[in-house]
Amino acid sequence: MQLASHDAELRAALFRFVDVTPACRSLDDLATHLTGYLEEVDERPPPIEAAMRMSGTKAGRAALGAAAAAGVRHMAHRFIVGETPRAALKTIRHLWENGAAVSLDLLGEATVTEAEADRYAARCLDALETLAEAAGSWPERPVLETDSLGRLPRVNLSVKVSALTPLLRPEAPDVGREDAAHRMRPLLLRARELGAHLHIDMESVDTIEATLGLVFELLDEPELREGPSAGVVMQAYLRESPDQLQRVIDWASATAREQPIVVRLVKGAYWDHEVVDARQHGWTPPVFEDKRESDRNFEALTRLLLEAWPHVRPAIASHNLRSVAHALAAARELGREDRDIEFQVLRGLGDDLAAALADLGQRVRIYCPVGDMVAGMAYLVRRLLENTSNESFLGEQQRGTPIEQLLAAP
Amino acid sequence: MSFRNEPILELRRAPVRDSLLEALRGLEARLPLEAPVLVGGERGSASGLHSTDPGAPERLVARAGSATEADASAAVEAAQRGFRDWGARPAAERAEILRGAAAILRERRLELAALQVRECAKPWPEADGDVCEAIDFLEYYALEALNLDAGRELVQAPGERNTMRYAPRGVAAVIAPWNFPLAIPCGMTAAALAAGNAAVLKPAEQSPASAGALVDALHEAGVPRNALSLLPGYGEAGAALVRDPGVHVIAFTGSSAVGLEIVRAAAETPEGQGHVKRVVSEMGGKNCVIVDADADLDEVVPELIYSAFGYAGQKCSAAARALVHEAAADTLLERLTGAVRVLDVGQADRFATEVPPVIEREAQERVRRYAAMAEPIAQVESLPDGGWFCAPTLVADLPDDSPVLSDEIFGPLLALTRVKSVDEACDIVDALPFALTGGLFSRSPATVERMAARLPVGNLYVNRGITGAMVGRQPFGGNRRSGIGSKAGGPDYLLQFVEPRVVTENTMRHGIQVD
Repeated sequence: MQLASHDAELRAALFRFVDVTPACRSLDDLATHLTGYLEEVDERPPPIEAAMRMSGTKAGRAALGAAAAAGVRHMAHRFIVGETPRAALKTIRHLWENGAAVSLDLLGEATVTEAEADRYAARCLDALETLAEAAGSWPERPVLETDSLGRLPRVNLSVKVSALTPLLRPEAPDVGREDAAHRMRPLLLRARELGAHLHIDMESVDTIEATLGLVFELLDEPELREGPSAGVVMQAYLRESPDQLQRVIDWASATAREQPIVVRLVKGAYWDHEVVDARQHGWTPPVFEDKRESDRNFEALTRLLLEAWPHVRPAIASHNLRSVAHALAAARELGREDRDIEFQVLRGLGDDLAAALADLGQRVRIYCPVGDMVAGMAYLVRRLLENTSNESFLGEQQRGTPIEQLLAAP
Repeated sequence: MSFRNEPILELRRAPVRDSLLEALRGLEARLPLEAPVLVGGERGSASGLHSTDPGAPERLVARAGSATEADASAAVEAAQRGFRDWGARPAAERAEILRGAAAILRERRLELAALQVRECAKPWPEADGDVCEAIDFLEYYALEALNLDAGRELVQAPGERNTMRYAPRGVAAVIAPWNFPLAIPCGMTAAALAAGNAAVLKPAEQSPASAGALVDALHEAGVPRNALSLLPGYGEAGAALVRDPGVHVIAFTGSSAVGLEIVRAAAETPEGQGHVKRVVSEMGGKNCVIVDADADLDEVVPELIYSAFGYAGQKCSAAARALVHEAAADTLLERLTGAVRVLDVGQADRFATEVPPVIEREAQERVRRYAAMAEPIAQVESLPDGGWFCAPTLVADLPDDSPVLSDEIFGPLLALTRVKSVDEACDIVDALPFALTGGLFSRSPATVERMAARLPVGNLYVNRGITGAMVGRQPFGGNRRSGIGSKAGGPDYLLQFVEPRVVTENTMRHGIQVD
């Protein structure tokens, strides 16, 4: 991955390969695709040249295909905790025992039909049941299951509105919201019965209106007032995120719900998509184009969130050490107990940070994707894009940028 | 100066959607509009043609004139007079006036979009896109006309000076369709005017009010009245224009039958006609989307569905056939089936609507006739009342000789065919007389390159939908029997509206060496 970071073309070639892997029908097919992408790279490093020479023969292609497929699987295993929730239980328990909670995320194809939406909802239900059944036997971990407001669910599932309906369209958010609501409601009810937490993920700008509308409307329904614990996500790279967060806080301050909503603050994972989409349409991108602006905004939103406690439970999801340190310092400055702030990281990217935070006695939750290789690919590529973008914190760190510079005020 | 596409509205923002609904209410208070015959500034009859809402045929959108052969003849005569003034003006002045018309459309974009919602049942995103495209055409051709005015570089030898310039042809007859009720008439008219011609616009009988709004904007911006006439009405006015010996260029977009008839009629050179007519004819298609085994179906399904069913399949660029690799066909068919079933069929003024009614009763009957020729795999079952609604329909595995696979249906009907390879799909496309748009979904660079070289279509879209060409970005038009290859919104388009003139001057006796 270090190699890839140095050369945008090579990186693009490898992403395209990762992306197509699940659709390839044979090793030969894999090798043909791989060399097809590599041919478009102008300056190929020697190991890549060697790989391409292998593709001249059938046996060579088989070997190259096998090696490349193994490489992709190896990468996928770093990010994806299991093919199914059941298969992931061992890892999840291991993480719990070592001081990290989990939010499970079910990977899947895009939802374009009712049947696919129903299947995703059924997978979510199954995940809730499977986790709830297993969680009973996990050892006590007070840091992970209580804050000063009360108990926190052991079971935590993240769901995507776009997967719960085929009708999500930016110009008609009501249609998608209503269709998703009738699949989301049973999930919330079951989560309440099981004492689980349901977290509604945020996706591209096109879906924000439907997602926020859905959250506000559903969670305020009388039968859901007593539970479950639920959450939303705020993306700090959005220019409009301060207003959005204010809307969430206003809603949270007014709602009759018993449990405060968890707000996960992230930088945002759709940066490239948002910028390209906006530029193609001639719009001002809805995201900050200078990473420092996102970082500054992240800190401002962190403060807003902390100040809104106890109406909201803040969850700071960042791999940027400065953002994490800032959140912790700001919380202490405001007189919050350490257990009233949660940190979240991504599986495969923030594992070291999670371990460090756990060692400090902080509550940390690892966002763990579950799913098969096909489903995992889109997710994987998105993470890779984020991780290898020239400005990303982790990339900088790997390249040895001095720590003072990385931690400088944005 | 450089060209930049007019940004479409950000419909994902609620206040933007509200502003459109407000514009619609404002328009409705003014209905029915009037779209009279306008010949050389004379306001003619505004009766004889009723423009109605395809979603509610009893709603009258506009009372329009029904231009006669005499009107056509008078319009050409006025245009001949108008041409002497307009054609003599500096290109920069004409360009400035066209850009002024673009500014007027921009200012009225909300009500113009609302008008298309009512007059042609265009859903909001499409209606807004059409207005933007009209603005783009004005801006783009204004700039291109300036480039053209500079002439072309020629080889120079000592003792001579060679120049090549382009002169307007004279009178352009523009015969436009209803499916892009502002953009297409605007594009053809703006090109004619930018190049210095006078124009007579005969819009489709289904969309006279949109054409009227266009002509109003051009006149207001400063195009002389006699350099631009409007002939709303039925076919006879258009036919008379085509035959008129005073017409130099005919710019047509529409059906193959009419287009070929125009090509034939325009070839006549009656006594007294001192020129050969130039015909720009953009006709139909039977557009195929090829899906290879390595395609990302998550991407294919929404893009193909929109290409086939957006605006009820009534775009010349719409997808009519999917040619799918057998390894992906079962999965794709299942997913397409589910995606067709959830298509939202409704009135164009609802933001949720994906498939509006088709334009008129005849269109509805035609689509139903073709749909009845095959067992549907998926079909939207309940349709709204009123309006010329057609059920979006997916069919598959039809026999090779089915007319559904060869005729242009121009409605919400998509036929899937299995192929053993993309090369077989290419053979199928190659055997069709049409060559307008095409699509390819493949993640293999080698396949993309091979197919791009082989496919004869005028516009090939790779790993995306096949509609929505943008001015300046995707010059648009078909080959073979789909069109003459003139590429609207591209750098070659204006050449159809001018004639080249080369001047070679002997400079030997000018006394100084000219280099």
